[in-house]
Amino acid sequence: MKSTPLRRGLFVALVIVLILCCFLAPYAWIVASSFKNQLTLFNDVTPLSWKAFFPVGGTFENYRTLFERTNVLTALLNTAIVSGGQVALTLLLCAMAAYSLTRIKFPGARIVFVLILLTFLLPIEAMMVPLYQVVSGLGLSNTLAGVMIPWIASPFGLFLLKQAFEELPVELEDAARIDGAGHVRIFFSIVLPNVKVPMLTLGLITFLFSWNSFLWPLVIVQDPANQVIQVAIAQQGSPTQLPNWGETFAGATVATLPLILLFLALQKYFTQGMTTSGIKG
Amino acid sequence: MPASNTLSAASATGSIQPKTGTRKPATRRQKRDWMFAAGFLAPFMILLLVFQYLPLLVMARNSVYDYSLLNPAAAKFVGLRNFTDMIEYEDAAISFGVTFLFALGVVLLVIPVAFALALFLNSKLPARGLVRTVIMLPVVTSSVVVAIMWSFLLDPSNGLINGVLNIAGIGNQPFLTSTDQALPALVAMTLWQQVGFGAILFLAGLQGLPVELTEAARIDGATRRQVLWNVTIPLLSRTTLFVVVIMTVFSLQAFAPAFLMTQGGPQESTNLIVYHIYNSAFIMQQAGYASALSVVLLLVVLAISMAQMALLRSRWNY
Amino acid sequence: MNARNLFLAGLLSATALGGTGAYAQDAAAACAGEEVTLRILRTPGNYPYPAPMEAWQKENPCVNFEINEIPFAQLADTISVQAASSNPPDILVYDGPNTRSYAAAGILLPITKYLPEGWDEDILPATKAEHSYEGEVYSPGIEQTTVAMYYNKMLVEAAGIKPPQTLDEAWTWPQALEAFKACQQGPAGAPTVWGLGPTRFGNGQPGLVYQDLIYQRSAGDPKADPDSSAYKTFWALSPDGNSVEGYLNTPEAIEALTFYQSLFNAEGVAPKVGIPNAFFDGKACFYIDTPAAGSALLKDPKIEWGITPIPYFKTPVVHTGSTTIGATARSKHPEIAAKFVVDMSWGEYAYMNVSQRGNLPTLKSLFPRFEVYGNYPMKVFIDQLQEWGQPRPPGPKFAQYDKLVTDALRAVAFGGDPAELMADAEKKVQRVLDR
Repeated sequence: MKSTPLRRGLFVALVIVLILCCFLAPYAWIVASSFKNQLTLFNDVTPLSWKAFFPVGGTFENYRTLFERTNVLTALLNTAIVSGGQVALTLLLCAMAAYSLTRIKFPGARIVFVLILLTFLLPIEAMMVPLYQVVSGLGLSNTLAGVMIPWIASPFGLFLLKQAFEELPVELEDAARIDGAGHVRIFFSIVLPNVKVPMLTLGLITFLFSWNSFLWPLVIVQDPANQVIQVAIAQQGSPTQLPNWGETFAGATVATLPLILLFLALQKYFTQGMTTSGIKG
Repeated sequence: MPASNTLSAASATGSIQPKTGTRKPATRRQKRDWMFAAGFLAPFMILLLVFQYLPLLVMARNSVYDYSLLNPAAAKFVGLRNFTDMIEYEDAAISFGVTFLFALGVVLLVIPVAFALALFLNSKLPARGLVRTVIMLPVVTSSVVVAIMWSFLLDPSNGLINGVLNIAGIGNQPFLTSTDQALPALVAMTLWQQVGFGAILFLAGLQGLPVELTEAARIDGATRRQVLWNVTIPLLSRTTLFVVVIMTVFSLQAFAPAFLMTQGGPQESTNLIVYHIYNSAFIMQQAGYASALSVVLLLVVLAISMAQMALLRSRWNY
Repeated sequence: MNARNLFLAGLLSATALGGTGAYAQDAAAACAGEEVTLRILRTPGNYPYPAPMEAWQKENPCVNFEINEIPFAQLADTISVQAASSNPPDILVYDGPNTRSYAAAGILLPITKYLPEGWDEDILPATKAEHSYEGEVYSPGIEQTTVAMYYNKMLVEAAGIKPPQTLDEAWTWPQALEAFKACQQGPAGAPTVWGLGPTRFGNGQPGLVYQDLIYQRSAGDPKADPDSSAYKTFWALSPDGNSVEGYLNTPEAIEALTFYQSLFNAEGVAPKVGIPNAFFDGKACFYIDTPAAGSALLKDPKIEWGITPIPYFKTPVVHTGSTTIGATARSKHPEIAAKFVVDMSWGEYAYMNVSQRGNLPTLKSLFPRFEVYGNYPMKVFIDQLQEWGQPRPPGPKFAQYDKLVTDALRAVAFGGDPAELMADAEKKVQRVLDR
């Protein structure tokens, strides 16, 4: 039985390599291919060669065309604005609402809470048509504000922050209150500084959701100058004319890279945001 | 954030405070506090009412009209016609059927694979952090990029997967152009995309298990497999249920694969319900019918969420 | 819109959080009266072209333009959505057969009273018919086109094939199939050079009504008894536009579709998915496209090429109709929008537009100026239009017909049962027509 640890080690190594291949190979192929012209790209796949995963004989041509001929750059900028705005407003509004619900006793709080709770159950994807009518009725179709505004009052965000606020000891504020501080001051200078981690977590999840959203911007924005990145690459990628694969891959790379980098840098908070809120109800 | 919406739905229910005491007349200070609370809540509540509740009403109203977005002014009241059409014609049944099948496939594959991955990650491993990071990459990649990536991976003549199959001596497969393979291909793609999320949830569950329980079982002479089946898995039922619900809701709301990869075809074999709604409203110009489909989808998701809450609250507390 | 303008537009709109990506052109001459901005909705790089627009602006210095561009596949949805919005565009550039849909929905402005004198005599009757609805003209039409079959001379000659160059000698589909097979290189279903290359329209997959409904229509016969299936097969929609039952699922259509299906399956001479530029890269012997492809090849001859008429089963037929231009009914400046639309399709402006693209004009008076169409190969297009041209099955529900029938044809190409699919398509289209 001496060989068991060795065999086990080999097995584990094999599984690890297999997992890494399954998850990384598609990315490697996309990124490598984004530096190739159509013909090389095909030739490296049929029959399959190791070259498919490395930018052998690479060129920046696809990226040049992408940035010069399409609205990808504008779209990246728009997405940054939408995501940034959505994060900031979600954090602010959710925190304000959570503060009211946790720090002030007022009549009707229960009704308000149930109203918010119920929206958890609404599948927003199913409501795109009426939502479209509401948002364009407000004159917000084709605007960046229209892309973000329906998602700012996030029940998920409210609950995440409400939980965090409830865990804050009341004594923290009592001292300030005795000093005559009003709610606004308590909110900004005492409560908020003590919930940095939940705020960061919520901010990241909101950013992820906003950056990756597709169906809603597809419906509400038609003007390419106000388009967001996911729609821009989807339109560039498949429907118009026959896609140039290399350019499409370049677009996919550009759309994904910022988020992957953010994820790698702040992985801990991402994972926390995705797991904590639900698992330990 | 529909998937994450449900995340804390369960946790939220626990926090509703029961109403206590009888109401006394409010003091001035209290009134000032109420005004403040109202002011602080107002922006959130206004947006919530306008963008969640108002569309709900609009949708309910639209579902009994026949109209097109081209010319909404010419809407015609049709009573329940849109709903009877769903029974009379096959498209709704097919679309809901395809969507349930898709959800079932995703759940049945994600659960065991994610659980196995979590067990693997919970053991002593070299490069554990790397593996954990790598399986999460598809989770943070947008469904658009995943759909684009996979439609090229699955290309019947120049795709990477056929390239790999050819090496293994298997001929080119039609994948998305075949009625038999299109939906399984989308399920496989979704497995790849979501399994990391499931694994992380299971991993959190595993790490939250009281170590004494498994150790005690081992001391009592149980084999590893027995511990797994009789202790670990039952203790994780709550997590499992949770992953099931998340994956179900996610699958019910999938749109990008049908829109970008298959246009619902071939022969409606991948006509996922959200795509069918989009298609009915914006291409077929039957916004009333689309609203009726939405109402049904809403009820389905509602039922699932209710069941989830009931189950999560009732049992499996450890 | 070039990249710099796009970028600037993006910056502008970004700072304004929802401005529209306009790029205003300098009004060259001074504007004496009130300035007007017309918003144009179109696919990227489509009509109207910059040269005629600038020339027109010199005469109309008070008018500025703002252009929104969206991909072809999403144009129809976008028009639906935007035309209904609070801020509709003034000018639509769209796929011609939709004129009646848009007219019936009240989206388009009737422009009959703005048409210049002599228009009725000069316009191609097919174009006028396509763009008229209930006695009014809704679009002046800007170009006319159809498809023919291009071939790669080198590949085809190497296989010892001589494709016909005139309509009288046109191949039947079985003859064409022999040529595809002879010219194809590599194993059927996965060749290195395809017999018949994939389309460049849509996502490159087969099934488009414009290009692929002509298989079954050509198996029909317009001279047969109006109650016969041969007659109905040819028209593919009842004359009053209210019924499709018995028009798609006919014995003739199914026979044609079985052949159509074999191209992608049993015979393996045509791919099921798009391959970008396949024909221009020498990876396909034959290829179906509009005159635009020939015009591009004339400018940049990447390969040696020729054109052969579209093959047929019984009755040769090609679809007509193309991109067109219209003013919206809810435009805030209907007079000026209608004037612009009409001007762009008349006289010198029309010539400037059409000659830029390389498709055919809609005005008889312009034909002599397109010399390239006087001789083979491009003459094939004129001949086809005159002898074989038919509009796509017209009617106010064209958009839905187009989508449903395209889905069915694509499913046939992918290997589905033709009779079952056509029966299903009939049922679905009929449901839309009945509403």
